Amino acid sequence: MSFIISILEQGLIYGILALGIYITYKILDFPDLTVDGSFPLGAAITAALITRGINPYLTLLLAFLSGVLAGICTGLIHIKCKVRDLLSGIIMMTALWTINLYIAGTSNVPLFSQKTIFHNDLLDQIVPEVLSPYITLIIILILAMICKVLLDLYLQTKSGYLLRAVGDNDTLVVSLAKDQGNVKILGLAIANGLVSLAGCIFAQEERVFEISMGTGAMVIGLASVIIGTSIFKKFSVLKTTSAVLIGSVIYKACVAIALRNFEPQAMKLITAVLFLIILIISMERKTKVNKNA
Amino acid sequence: MKKRVVAGLLTVAMAVAMMSGCGKSQDTASETAEESYTLGIIQFAEHGSLDNCREGFLNGLESEGIVEGENLTVEYKNATADMGNAKQISDGFVSDKVDMICAIATPTAQSAYNAAMNEGIPVIYTAVTDPIAAELAGKDGKPVGEVTGTSDKLPVEEQLKMIRAMLPDAKKLGIMYTTSEANSVSAIKEYEELVEKYGFELVEKGITSTADVALAADDLVSQVDCITNLTDNTVVASLPTILEKANEKNVPVFGSEIEQVKIGCLAAEGIDYLALGEQTGKMAAQVLKGAKKASEIDFETITTPGFYVNLKVAENLGITVPDELAETAVESFSEITAE
Repeated sequence: MSFIISILEQGLIYGILALGIYITYKILDFPDLTVDGSFPLGAAITAALITRGINPYLTLLLAFLSGVLAGICTGLIHIKCKVRDLLSGIIMMTALWTINLYIAGTSNVPLFSQKTIFHNDLLDQIVPEVLSPYITLIIILILAMICKVLLDLYLQTKSGYLLRAVGDNDTLVVSLAKDQGNVKILGLAIANGLVSLAGCIFAQEERVFEISMGTGAMVIGLASVIIGTSIFKKFSVLKTTSAVLIGSVIYKACVAIALRNFEPQAMKLITAVLFLIILIISMERKTKVNKNA
Repeated sequence: MKKRVVAGLLTVAMAVAMMSGCGKSQDTASETAEESYTLGIIQFAEHGSLDNCREGFLNGLESEGIVEGENLTVEYKNATADMGNAKQISDGFVSDKVDMICAIATPTAQSAYNAAMNEGIPVIYTAVTDPIAAELAGKDGKPVGEVTGTSDKLPVEEQLKMIRAMLPDAKKLGIMYTTSEANSVSAIKEYEELVEKYGFELVEKGITSTADVALAADDLVSQVDCITNLTDNTVVASLPTILEKANEKNVPVFGSEIEQVKIGCLAAEGIDYLALGEQTGKMAAQVLKGAKKASEIDFETITTPGFYVNLKVAENLGITVPDELAETAVESFSEITAE
C-alpha cells in the first residue's frame, strides 16, 4: 500500500512540474530547458527560507514567484536578445546552477529539524491518527488540484486564449494587434513558476535540498506530458491538464516497477523501454485515426 | 473502443507487474522470519569507492556471523544519482518492512532516514563526510534518531604533514573540486584553515562538471608545485586526465585513497573504503542482533588513515620517499595500474 502511496506522491509532485512543461512544450511549442534549473531553484529558495524560520506555507508562494522570475529571464533572453529557444533555456539553466548554490549557501541543505508543509504543529493537532499516513499524499493532492484548476481557469481567460494562439497560429496574435513576444514570456513565467513550486514541494517532502536534484527534470516532465496526452487523447471528458497529471503518475509507476524488479544497472534501460512501449501504443492509435479520416 | 482496451490492458499489466513486485519481497520476508534478517542497501551512484563500501559492509556483517544467503537477504538498489529514484527506493524498502536500511553516500542516507524515521526502521550509513552538517547527527555528535554510521572525512592534517615530508620545498598546493559537492566544499574549508601551518599556499580550482576538468587541470598545473585530491566524485572520475597533464609538467599529484595511488597518484594518507565499510558492517551487526539501538551508537570516523605510496610514480618524478615514511606504508605499489 505504501508503495502505491509513494508512487502517487511522487507522480503528483512531478505532475505539477509536468503542468509547467505542458505549457511550454505543448501550448507554446517551446523546448524549455530552464526547467532543470528552476526545479532546484524552488527547492533552494525553500531550503534557504525554511532554515531562516519563514513559514513553510509561505515558501510555496515565494518559490512560485522565483520560478516566474526565472521564466521571465529565459523569455527576455529569447525575445529581446533574439537567442534561439533551446539555447536561451540552456543559458538560464546554466546560470541557475550557480544562483541555486548561492541561494542555498551549499550544495546540500537538510531540513530534518525544520517544520515543513507536511510536518508542523498545526497539522499534528488537527489531523486525526487514522489519516496521518496519508496526510502527505492528501496535501500533495490538494496542491496539485489547486494548480490544475487554476491553470484550467487561466486557459479560459482572454490571456489564456492568446497563449494558446501563439503556439498554434501566431499570425492570429499579430492580427489581434498583440505582441506575441510578451505572450511567450508570460507563458514561460507561469510554466517555470509551476516547476519551481514542484521543486519546493519535493524539497519539503524529501526534507533536503540537493543541487543535483534538477538533473533530468525536463526529461521526466516531458515524458509525463507525452504519456498523459497520448494515452488520454480520446477521452474528451478528461481535461488535458488532468491527463498530464495522470501521465506523470504513470511515468513514476514505470520507474518504480523498474527499480523494484530489475538489476539496478538495468534501471534506465527498462524505463526507456517502458516509455517506448507506451509511445508505440499511443502512436498506433494515431495512425488508426488517420485511416478513419 | 479498441484504444480504450489497449489503454486498459496497459494499466492492468502495470498493476500486475507492481503487485508481483510486492508479492515477491513479502515472500522472502516471511521465509526468513526467525533469526534472519532482510537488509536494504541503497547506493547513490555507480562509483568505485562506494562499491568498495558496500563490499566491506557485507564483509563486516559476515565477520559477525550475519552471512548473505544464509541468514541475510540483501536487496541492493542503486539510485543512479537521481534524488527521485533515491526517494522511491527508500519508500520501497520501508513498505517491504526490511529490518535495516544501509545507505551509501549522503543524499541516500538523508533519503533513507526521511522515509524510515516514522517506521522505526534503523538506518546505517557510510561514506557520509559530515553527518552533523547532513543533520543525521546532532551538534553533539549523537544520532538524531534510529540512524548512525561512519563518516569518510578526509584526514586533512595527516595528508598535509605527509606532503610536507615528501616535498620539503613545495610552496603552492593545488586542489581541484566540484562546487556542487558538499563533501568537497567542507574539505576545502578544512584545507584553507590548515595549509598555512604546514607552510603551503592553497590554489583552489572549482569546476562544475567533467567537461571542465581538462581546462582547469591545464590551468592548475601551470600554477602550482603539487596537487592533492579530495574524494570529489567528478574529479576522481577524471583523474587520468589530470595525471596526464600533471606528468607533462612534472607536478606530483597526491591522492586521497588507495585506488587513486594505484592508478598513478604519488601517495595518499587516505581512507580504505573497504575497511570503512567493514567498520560500518560491524556496527550494523550490533543493531541487527539487538545488542544496541542505532540511536545509542555515535557515528564513527575511520580510526587511523593508512599511508599508501606508489614507488614507480616517485621514480618517474625523481622524488625519493623518506625512509621513515616508506616504512609506515600500509601498502606500496611498484607499478601504475591503468584503470
